[in-house]
Amino acid sequence: MFTLIKREIEDHIAYFLGGVVLSSIVIVLSIWAAYNYKDEPPVYSIGLSIPVIVILLIGFPAMGASQMYTDRNRKISAFLSALPVTRGRILIARIVAGILAILTALVPLTITATVLRPLLMPPVPIYPGLIFDMFVTVFLMAFACYCLGLLTGWASSKVTPTLAGLGLTFVLIPLVAVKGFGLHTTVILVLFIIASLIRIWQKFMSTPL
Amino acid sequence: MNENVIEAENLVKYFDGRCVLDGINLKVPRGCIYGLLGRNASGKTTIIRILLGLEPPTRGQTFLLGAESANLSAKVHSRIGYVAEGHNLIQNYTVGRLIKLCKDLSPHWNDKFFEHLTETFRLPMDRRIGQLSIGMRAQLNLSLALSIDPELLILDDPTLGLDTVARRQFLELAIDLIGQQGRTILFSSHILSDVERIADRIGILAGGKLVVDCALEELKNRVKKFRLIFPESAPENLYLTEIINQEIEGREIAITVANWNQQKQAMLGTFQPSSCTELPMGLEDIFIECTKPDVAPLAHL
Repeated sequence: MFTLIKREIEDHIAYFLGGVVLSSIVIVLSIWAAYNYKDEPPVYSIGLSIPVIVILLIGFPAMGASQMYTDRNRKISAFLSALPVTRGRILIARIVAGILAILTALVPLTITATVLRPLLMPPVPIYPGLIFDMFVTVFLMAFACYCLGLLTGWASSKVTPTLAGLGLTFVLIPLVAVKGFGLHTTVILVLFIIASLIRIWQKFMSTPL
Repeated sequence: MNENVIEAENLVKYFDGRCVLDGINLKVPRGCIYGLLGRNASGKTTIIRILLGLEPPTRGQTFLLGAESANLSAKVHSRIGYVAEGHNLIQNYTVGRLIKLCKDLSPHWNDKFFEHLTETFRLPMDRRIGQLSIGMRAQLNLSLALSIDPELLILDDPTLGLDTVARRQFLELAIDLIGQQGRTILFSSHILSDVERIADRIGILAGGKLVVDCALEELKNRVKKFRLIFPESAPENLYLTEIINQEIEGREIAITVANWNQQKQAMLGTFQPSSCTELPMGLEDIFIECTKPDVAPLAHL
């Protein structure tokens, strides 16, 4: 399994590097804003969240779609399936690599947010678990987008699923904006992710390679 | 150790409403080298892909090493070597990277043997797979399939696209290894001389059915072709069973019969032909006779 995860990471290293670069930019800008604009932090907090949303909207679905598309195109799973590997393991390794890519981008951002919270947040009381709730929600949203990418990439030859996938990705972001961070959003996203994973599993396991 | 390593039971496969495999039953015992023959699009690759679980069957079941093809575990996969038609290796990988991947995934990787093979084939480790010639890709694919130390080797047209020298080199290596290590091999090819050289059992696919499934020597003994010349015009019906093919021209009949025996010989004698000559048949001749489109349905050999 470790070999398969390593292979996925090496093949899609650009997404990991992209995540690191973007989160580094956000971190640098956050530190810069925290020290230079102490009096008007909310504006800069909102401004800094834009690159994160861009990563979510484009980066992770693109990674999922790229993993599946290159697999079909280069017949990678067909080759791997002839080795001592099962289809299930190939898919699990792929999803684990996706989760690692999301964490690579989000964990440094969360740590930075935790450290800089007193400087970046407005001077009103906030509940202690806010950063954790934000991390969970953003992680789940990114993972849901990634799952949509996986589905879209596996059905890349069809226009309707591709458009439907893109449409759903754009629905997920306003969902968080409307519902906010917390249990309701988490439950909706988890259900969405479970449904997506079941569909990917069923399609990947039954399609001829 | 007489169990079947490969089994297919009533295997049916449709592609877009077209029947490609129509009730195939196949059993390959351990240690057998099975040559699977058939014309283009006769379903050879489909059978192999179904056996390996790469393609789902429409109906029927297949088993490899006792495990159902649809649910082959990694452990069972580790006992199977596969050379795919066209050598579908990961094109953007270097040879070295692909070898490392296969080595890391295979629990029984034979490093010493693989080094011997790479030295024999002089495989360039730093070149990308996509930059290799078809011959080199075939050699790499065979090396990878053999180095996992498989009990069962499935070769789907492995010599396709190879020049004569590379094909000979490939086959000689395969024959050496097969002979030394007593593996079970399923071998599909269009080059019948290769199959004749390697296989000890033959299966011929035609019209979606396995029309021949027997030992190579037995096949040669059981399928006979005769040229009969009659004093007057040739009879339209010779009342023989299991006629594979029959061509009538004036006083002459060329007839190919399966399961040739004394009864059939006696029946033929009753027509009193002025001459009866047995025509020698190689595997290629038998194959051509068995796969002619207008051939009458043939009893299973």
